[in-house]
Amino acid sequence: MKPFWILIKYEWLNFRAYRGLVILSTLALVAGLYGIYYGTTEVERQRENIAGLEVLTQHNVAEMKTKYPSEADAGDIGYYHSTFAVHHPDSWASLSLGQRDVNPYYIKLRLLNLQSQLYDSENINPLKVLSGNFDLAFVLVYLFPLLIIGLCFNILSIEKEQGTLPLLLSQPISLPLIVGAKLTFRMMVVLGMALLLSIVAMVWGAVVPDARIALWLGVVVLYCVFWFGMAFLVAALQKNSAFNAVTLLGVWLLLTIIIPALLNVYVSIRQPVPQALALTIKQREVVHGGWDKPKRETMEAFFVRYPQYRDTAEIQGRFAWKWYYAFHLLGDIAVEDLAKEYQSSLQARHDLVQNLNVLSVPVNVQGIFNAMAGSDLPSYLQFLQSATHYHDTLREFYYPFLFKQVGFTHADYAREPRHSFTSTSDMPSAKNGLVKLLLSVLVVFAAGLLLFRWKEASVK
Amino acid sequence: MVKSIAQKEFISTLRDRRFVVLSVLVLLLLLAATVVGLYSYHTQQQERDVAQQTVNHQFQNSADRHPHRMAHYGSYAFRPKSSISFLDFGLDSYTGASVFMEAHRQNSANFSQAQQSSSLIRFGEMTVAFVLQMLLPLLIIFLCFSTFTQEKETGTLKILLSQGVSLREIAWAKIAGYGKTVALVVGPALLIASLLLFGRSGFEWHTDVLVRLLLFIGFYLVYFFIFVVLSVVVSGVHQRSSTALVTLLGIWILCCVIIPKASANLGNTLYTTPTRAQMDADVHEEVAKGIDGHNSQDARAEAFKKELLQKYGADSLSQLPVNFDGIIMAVGEEQSTKVYREYFAELTDIFQKQNRVSEWAGFLNPYLAVRNLSMGMAGSDFPHYLHFQNEAEQYRYHLAQSLNHIQTTRLKYKDKTTRLSADTWKELAPFTYEAPPVQWALGSHLISLVALFLWLALVCTLGLRLIDKIQIA
Amino acid sequence: MKFALEARQLKKQYQDKLALKGLDLQIEPGEIFCLLGQNGAGKSTTINLFLGFIRPTSGAAYINGLEVAANPIKVKEYLAYIPENVMLYPNLTGLENLALFSNLASFDYSQEELMTYLVQAGLPGEAAKRKVGAYSKGMRQKVGIAIAVAKHAKVLLLDEPTSGLDPKASNEFSELLLQLSANGTAIFMATHDIFRAKEVGTRVGIMREGELVDLLGTTELNANELEKLYLNYMHA
Repeated sequence: MKPFWILIKYEWLNFRAYRGLVILSTLALVAGLYGIYYGTTEVERQRENIAGLEVLTQHNVAEMKTKYPSEADAGDIGYYHSTFAVHHPDSWASLSLGQRDVNPYYIKLRLLNLQSQLYDSENINPLKVLSGNFDLAFVLVYLFPLLIIGLCFNILSIEKEQGTLPLLLSQPISLPLIVGAKLTFRMMVVLGMALLLSIVAMVWGAVVPDARIALWLGVVVLYCVFWFGMAFLVAALQKNSAFNAVTLLGVWLLLTIIIPALLNVYVSIRQPVPQALALTIKQREVVHGGWDKPKRETMEAFFVRYPQYRDTAEIQGRFAWKWYYAFHLLGDIAVEDLAKEYQSSLQARHDLVQNLNVLSVPVNVQGIFNAMAGSDLPSYLQFLQSATHYHDTLREFYYPFLFKQVGFTHADYAREPRHSFTSTSDMPSAKNGLVKLLLSVLVVFAAGLLLFRWKEASVK
Repeated sequence: MVKSIAQKEFISTLRDRRFVVLSVLVLLLLLAATVVGLYSYHTQQQERDVAQQTVNHQFQNSADRHPHRMAHYGSYAFRPKSSISFLDFGLDSYTGASVFMEAHRQNSANFSQAQQSSSLIRFGEMTVAFVLQMLLPLLIIFLCFSTFTQEKETGTLKILLSQGVSLREIAWAKIAGYGKTVALVVGPALLIASLLLFGRSGFEWHTDVLVRLLLFIGFYLVYFFIFVVLSVVVSGVHQRSSTALVTLLGIWILCCVIIPKASANLGNTLYTTPTRAQMDADVHEEVAKGIDGHNSQDARAEAFKKELLQKYGADSLSQLPVNFDGIIMAVGEEQSTKVYREYFAELTDIFQKQNRVSEWAGFLNPYLAVRNLSMGMAGSDFPHYLHFQNEAEQYRYHLAQSLNHIQTTRLKYKDKTTRLSADTWKELAPFTYEAPPVQWALGSHLISLVALFLWLALVCTLGLRLIDKIQIA
Repeated sequence: MKFALEARQLKKQYQDKLALKGLDLQIEPGEIFCLLGQNGAGKSTTINLFLGFIRPTSGAAYINGLEVAANPIKVKEYLAYIPENVMLYPNLTGLENLALFSNLASFDYSQEELMTYLVQAGLPGEAAKRKVGAYSKGMRQKVGIAIAVAKHAKVLLLDEPTSGLDPKASNEFSELLLQLSANGTAIFMATHDIFRAKEVGTRVGIMREGELVDLLGTTELNANELEKLYLNYMHA
């Protein structure tokens, strides 16, 4: 194996002497560090914002306490007091922000009907989310392939173009050995950088050290190796440098931009999402219709869901909070099926993408990263469910006050249930993605080896 | 002489099988993007039309209600898609499609496409603008990278020059020849897109749309021209085709992949966006200092009451010729709206500062300049979105105040039970939205406009000066 | 007897052209064989077949008794090669280039030894430490010679080695070849240069359209006669 290491040593000398390559690698490193910085500050900002919500809640409680210095009607509190359902980022989210910038990570909730509150969006700058996140996942998924292409597009062709191949081959070494050594050297450089950046990101982001460290590093290595395989495959065509550069960039464009864009079109046609809007419009009709319905009818419908309050006092007069909240609940119940359908169709859309991502390795890898960091659509849907559940517990907390006509004291604020949801990683789909990635790598290298065998090497 | 060189470039490109294959691919993608764009435009527009009609109908035929109930029943504003937006979705997939408009509360625009997608959408969308902005430059680079280097490598450049042509003339001839080739690829697709656009509206003459479309096409032609000249110049200053190609691809990656994302992210880091919750709380606090329509007991409301009683010379609120409930509601609405608008203006100011980073980056990168202009012409940019949000807010305020006025003039003080019939609601005009005219759109993209034309001037002067300095031997 | 170089019915057919029409040739250690012929006569094809860069259509080439096609790597331990236009890694110095190729051939020379080879090949010592990118063709050619010499091969394959060398360097190169052959190295040189062939060659072959049309010892002829003969064949 000696000539192999000699070649690697001289590749290093060559690499060091060639300014362009050094600049390219430095740029990739800088981009990676910026990605880590951006990811961690973004997650930090979300954490701070979430912490800020606690302050807002405290403020709100203080305001309530001044407004109602003694015991208050729980109905008033339910109406004026608000709490938050919060979606904490997983510690890994700083490496792969996924959809966390598009989907709200908290929901302001009052005791009113849930469906009109659940989908409120956060202040987001649409131009920024259109441009996407410059996080480590972006650097690894988008830019590292470009770095690999930049380092490898002329791996063999340059030896022919600068005329060194004949002299090289007149030594007792074979062509695959030469290509192998050059590829290995570049792999050491790129993988070294990718792994270094990953570890820096893990330390900086203070991730929970679990099996995901191995998984992440494994995916990074395999993904880089996939692109080296692609460079190897194209080198096996034995064309000139310009052809290789265009071909490799074309493959990159196809895999990271064109196929995903076409998949997106296919997915939205194949798996349409029923309009969430229909849902909010319908619940509005039911809720506002509640004012004009006979109270007894409303309460009967309410008691079907909460029979334990059936024996409470009959409503007297024009207005009663328990009746008000009852028809708000009925608004939610009226669209329960629609809401389920909406959320399950979003999940189905995501699942469809999971099945189709075999067509594009970058989509697959981004999917693995997001699944590990719990930053994709399923996490958001889980959060919505968790928030829904929380709203139910809020109701259950307030109903006894309303129906048993108990005053809401200052001490009761502290007893109000609080919400906290932290996204969890989706390891099964991450592992599933890893298997697909492994297969892609094998396919690419097998094709490259076959092509090298099949195509007679030419020196010039 | 120049003409014959241009013709030579044109013909030899057309004879290059690789180029023909690539062009056909790009053309097919363009057509596919047009069809996809039109399809999604149609479905989304139809959904919004139907939804808007539904809610308008519901409002006008609503059950008998107290005016303030009606103000909370509210209405929805759906953002109609601009008719050219099928060429460039722009921000449309990331902006909310509908706003719920009710009294006292300014709701966010909800249900964007991006929220209803998995992260796949973040890889980008297949639109005509995407093909024109990202793929066409690549095609141009591929077309032009070896135009000078090959002539140097084969020695034909010396022969050409010995015939008495100047380098500059050769460069212009090449630019003309490649320009013609690019036009051949883009022309049919843009023609079909225009026909589809106007065919749909029965070829109805609509000046604003026409001007927008022409400018849209014009900006892209400038953009392509910049890339053609840039590629020819880069090819001129390099000695070897492969290094020229690598340089151009590097420029492309920087312009089309890295800078757009980096500038948007940088803007976001430089100017912090306040959370919606924080903003709501701030607005609430600020408003609490004023008159709250629902709490007429507090001190400020008391003072206002006195003033009003004095003005009409009445002893009690029930003696007033107008309904005090409605008046106090209207005053409260006025104040809370004023405060909200201040905060909203602050928020949009932050957004615009963030976006300004990307706009100024247009001077570094023609891609960003043309992207902004393209979205602007297609009506899918941030200013158009903001315009819609402001219009919706205007309508919301108008609706709430109209209902307050009805309460003031037709209902008695303390009357919470009277219900007005649907005929009353029919008096209120439904929400309609008219996109601002093209000059407004242009005005909001002056930086990008200047950047694009500066690029044009730069490549034509400095670039060609570099051509003069080409090393021939 | 084991020949240093041997070709047995060596044939190379390209798609539209028979480049080599069954070459039979034996070259012994210490011989300097010069192959004359026009461009496209098949000289480079012959060298490439000996190098194993292309596979023969039929027949076989042998280096040191080993069939080239069957032992593509092993045979390279016995041969050294100087192409017509020596191209090196432009970002490495002459010294580093020599070190690389020597290392690949399993020689581990010290800096001083490497320098000696370069100077011996005619490269000025200060140039050896500059990057090859700035070298002239002649300087690169000299590094190529140093690489070949440093390999101490039994067989030296040369393809127009003196092109780009000035007359003085050319003469020094001829001296070197004679010295190597005296040490038992077999030299196979494709060239246009009739006078050089006459001067150093022990045997001269004339190749035309893929065929060896004549084979003569240089002792039999003087340079003028050789030139006449050569031109005769070319115009026939």
